[in-house]
Amino acid sequence: MSTTMSTQSQAAQTLAWNMKLVAQHELSGFGGMGEGTNMQKTKDGRRIFWMAHESAPKNFTGVDVTDPHNPKMVVQTDLPHGDVRSNSLDVVGDLMAVAYQTKKWGLKPAGFDLFDISTPEKPRLIAHFDASGPSSRGAHCVWFVDGEYVHMSCGAPDFTPTHEKDDQFYRIIDVRNPSKPTEVGRWWYPGTRKGDAEPPPPRHPKFDGGYRPHNTNVYPGRPNRAYVAYIDGGAWILDISDKAHPKAVGHLQYSPPYNGFTHTVMPLLSRDLLIVSDECVKDNGIDWPKLTWVVDARNESNLVPIATLPLPPVETFSKRGGRFGSHNLHENYPGPCAWRSDTIVLGTFFNGGVRAFDTSNPYQPKEVAYFVPGAPKMSRAGAIQLNDVFVDDRGLVFTVDRFAGGLYILEMSL
Amino acid sequence: MLGTLTARDPLAGRIPVSVVTGFLGSGKTTLINRLLKRPDMNRVAVIVNELGEVGIDNDLVEVSSEQMMLLNNGCLCCVLRGDLEETMRDLFIKRRNGEIIDFDRVVIETTGLADPAPVMQTLMTDTMLEDQYRLDCVVTLVDAVNGLGQIATLPEPVKQAALADRLVITKSDLADAAKLEELEAKLRELNPPAPIRRALNGEIELAFLVDVGLRNVKGKLEDIARWLGADERESERGDHDEPAHGHRHDTAITSFCLRFERPFSWAVFTQCMDVLTALRGPDLLRVKGLVNVESRAGPMVVQGVQHLFHPPVELAAWPSEDRSSRIVFITRGIGRSEVANLFAAIGAVQGQAKG
Repeated sequence: MSTTMSTQSQAAQTLAWNMKLVAQHELSGFGGMGEGTNMQKTKDGRRIFWMAHESAPKNFTGVDVTDPHNPKMVVQTDLPHGDVRSNSLDVVGDLMAVAYQTKKWGLKPAGFDLFDISTPEKPRLIAHFDASGPSSRGAHCVWFVDGEYVHMSCGAPDFTPTHEKDDQFYRIIDVRNPSKPTEVGRWWYPGTRKGDAEPPPPRHPKFDGGYRPHNTNVYPGRPNRAYVAYIDGGAWILDISDKAHPKAVGHLQYSPPYNGFTHTVMPLLSRDLLIVSDECVKDNGIDWPKLTWVVDARNESNLVPIATLPLPPVETFSKRGGRFGSHNLHENYPGPCAWRSDTIVLGTFFNGGVRAFDTSNPYQPKEVAYFVPGAPKMSRAGAIQLNDVFVDDRGLVFTVDRFAGGLYILEMSL
Repeated sequence: MLGTLTARDPLAGRIPVSVVTGFLGSGKTTLINRLLKRPDMNRVAVIVNELGEVGIDNDLVEVSSEQMMLLNNGCLCCVLRGDLEETMRDLFIKRRNGEIIDFDRVVIETTGLADPAPVMQTLMTDTMLEDQYRLDCVVTLVDAVNGLGQIATLPEPVKQAALADRLVITKSDLADAAKLEELEAKLRELNPPAPIRRALNGEIELAFLVDVGLRNVKGKLEDIARWLGADERESERGDHDEPAHGHRHDTAITSFCLRFERPFSWAVFTQCMDVLTALRGPDLLRVKGLVNVESRAGPMVVQGVQHLFHPPVELAAWPSEDRSSRIVFITRGIGRSEVANLFAAIGAVQGQAKG
């Protein structure tokens, strides 16, 4: 009989409250998934869950989740070489946009692909939007929800950054003719492009993550606004009523003193709130605190943080292995397959798993559910590293591991 | 599953808590000891007064510390530390941190002299606990040999029996059939809706101690009937206005169900309850009800212990065609007609005010 309550390595243990595992799919051993996930309802009534991979060799994978207890992989594709990653994708109807970001400037493919996925088993390439260039790595993240415009964080052949880490910016691409994607607008953080009148912004003193966008969300419920998370540049609201000339109308900068890497700005439109998540990018709590903020956005030009989502203690979780802290949110995607809530917010927190919060009282958000899978087999972090989450209209939670665990399907009881 | 629901269900997702109470010598420790070893106790956390008293064989213990032991059936047994709120908060924090098992049910052993009302009130009204826990069930043990005598002479066992959702007669092998029947009759008189079970040597299945409380706002008819107690009770023997035999009128336990066909305005209903609790809070042992409130889609669920009430919860829909308000009262010396008259009077005055 041992004298402590812990008999096994903590990271091996699954932790759950109000979420139950329905199924896990390791995706044929390529279970390291990125942060692009979305669901397609096919014409023949199936639900296909699409995921971009975290890194090469795989590009994207589609899994039939019509029966969530019995997910079936229908397709898994390869990247052309090892110096590119897809990481991000989005789906509208039978159209899918997939991002490509290269490891170095000048490489290809850099930009995004548009696929016809009406036959999910055989995605058919419609067009490639080439954003490669002497100082471009292509696209890190795409947002595509209306079937008309791709909003993305991407470089461009004509964009020379003032600092090598600031090589991506906000671009709006018209894909109404899917075979001929065309840029219609762009915006970048003042001072990040060579030739700007403004001086380059100051580097983050401890963790220089760069001044470039991560998520660039635009909702059909408020089509004249882009909610742009600008990594070390904080959260931005852009007026895009004239797509050719996006105009900054709101900005929240809290780093420093915080540690930068603003990742997602998600509006809760009916409540004039923003949920702003950071991304933890260092292992073992080095860049803690990486938080998810509740922001009062009643006055766009004066964004006021009023709370953060309550996370479990860093003292415990920073020792479980890998990263611990905020990252992706379920972004209330438009479309027939997504669950949407302006009070319940779900996010992934790497080794903190997937967690749900009730923000009915925005000053005191409450945790209402969590699922932390035990360390997946072969995970190089030695712990789960949940990377992204999507909740479907059935209330099922789809969440993916960054390194090895693949897809976890959960049932939530709230 | 959530379906189209996009806000939190105020009942679902809370960890259910069963409270085991009973007078000194009623066999709580024996029952808990037996319960801990059952296979169905996997993922149950049991809060006891003293670990030493539980007396679990070492070979059943997976790991242990001064405060806790994890048994090899997956049951976590931990000692009450400080007050109950502190212990339960601490348990949830440890659960969240992965320091203990992911328990999904809690059983609390109260001390023999304890009045269960404060424990119930804590679980129903503590705003820190109510995010994670909900009161599911109160189980009272009554000793077959000494129970009748205790009920006749002491206030605590009476209250314990009256507040229970489930009654367990222990040591039934030590009492003759006539005595057992007399005790059962007495318990039915004190608490007509609570099912009664006899247990030998503390042997009782977990299922009898759990799943009374409503689990979500989409409660089915049988869930609601089980929670509210027997249905159509006003016509049954439990509907007493007369004091229970052998007691002075003012201390007698009474149980009745009031039924109202017309919907309430929420203001009238809360005023009735406010006046009742202000005047007779300590004697209002337990109140459970479904209330039809004007312009609400589903019934409001109300429950209280003495002067404290759980925040009201609206169910998604009525579970059946019956839309009448049904409120079960277990009181000490407050008769059915007195409560009914109060409701009628306030309703009439308010009705006039509305003009």
